[in-house]
Amino acid sequence: MTPSKGPLAPAPHLAGRTLDAQLHLMDRQVLDHDGVPVTTVDDLELSGPAVDEEIPPGTPAPVLTALLTGPVLGTRIFGGRPPSARLIRIPWKDVAAVDVVLTLGVSGENLDAGWVERWIRDKIIARIPGGRRDPR
Amino acid sequence: MILGDLLGTAVHDPDGGWLGRVADARFVLDGTPRQLLAEPRLLGLVVSPHSVASFLGYERTGLTQPWPLANLLRWRHRGSFLVMWEDIAMIGAGSVRLRPGFIRYNPQLDDRGQE
Repeated sequence: MTPSKGPLAPAPHLAGRTLDAQLHLMDRQVLDHDGVPVTTVDDLELSGPAVDEEIPPGTPAPVLTALLTGPVLGTRIFGGRPPSARLIRIPWKDVAAVDVVLTLGVSGENLDAGWVERWIRDKIIARIPGGRRDPR
Repeated sequence: MILGDLLGTAVHDPDGGWLGRVADARFVLDGTPRQLLAEPRLLGLVVSPHSVASFLGYERTGLTQPWPLANLLRWRHRGSFLVMWEDIAMIGAGSVRLRPGFIRYNPQLDDRGQE
């Protein structure tokens, strides 16, 4: 083990862009390719490793496979997280840019992440007189 | 695995000694190229000895404003270090164990938020 005192060694320089999960990804807003808000990033899914299993030396690093969103308000207040099956996945391959917001390269209209908003729009808002009129 | 389960987990050295908690996970976009962005590969974990999680990332950036907040948060996250994926021996449900001879790297990011 290296001693804890003294200046730390600088991290090896890398060619690719660096993303820290908490600083650059978590809780960021997600927009679709038209700039329409889709959801926020509540959690992230990795391709591995298996929990409680020894990682053999030389194992390739896991990769970020999906952004997760779902009903996390209760668990944010009281602790824990919703079961994995209740979380909605947006695959990383659909992410086009990471900045102050995350931009997707696809339309948000067909994503599972926006189903609550679509359901409210179609079943409730659309039945209010004038609710089908585009305000723009 | 879900990253939220890993954040805040205790980190131990190979002898079982306490090192801190997982404050953040660092990714680098140099994985397999996809149609839009490359796959983010897990580079390592940021370990904080004195706090459960990182807040605003002052310990990883050169920001000094507002002065009282920057200094308070930098002090709270003092001793934070980056440990590479290659130095992680096991990720358990309640703790992360590092390999013998692991190296503590400086977790600092540059002005653009990059290493």
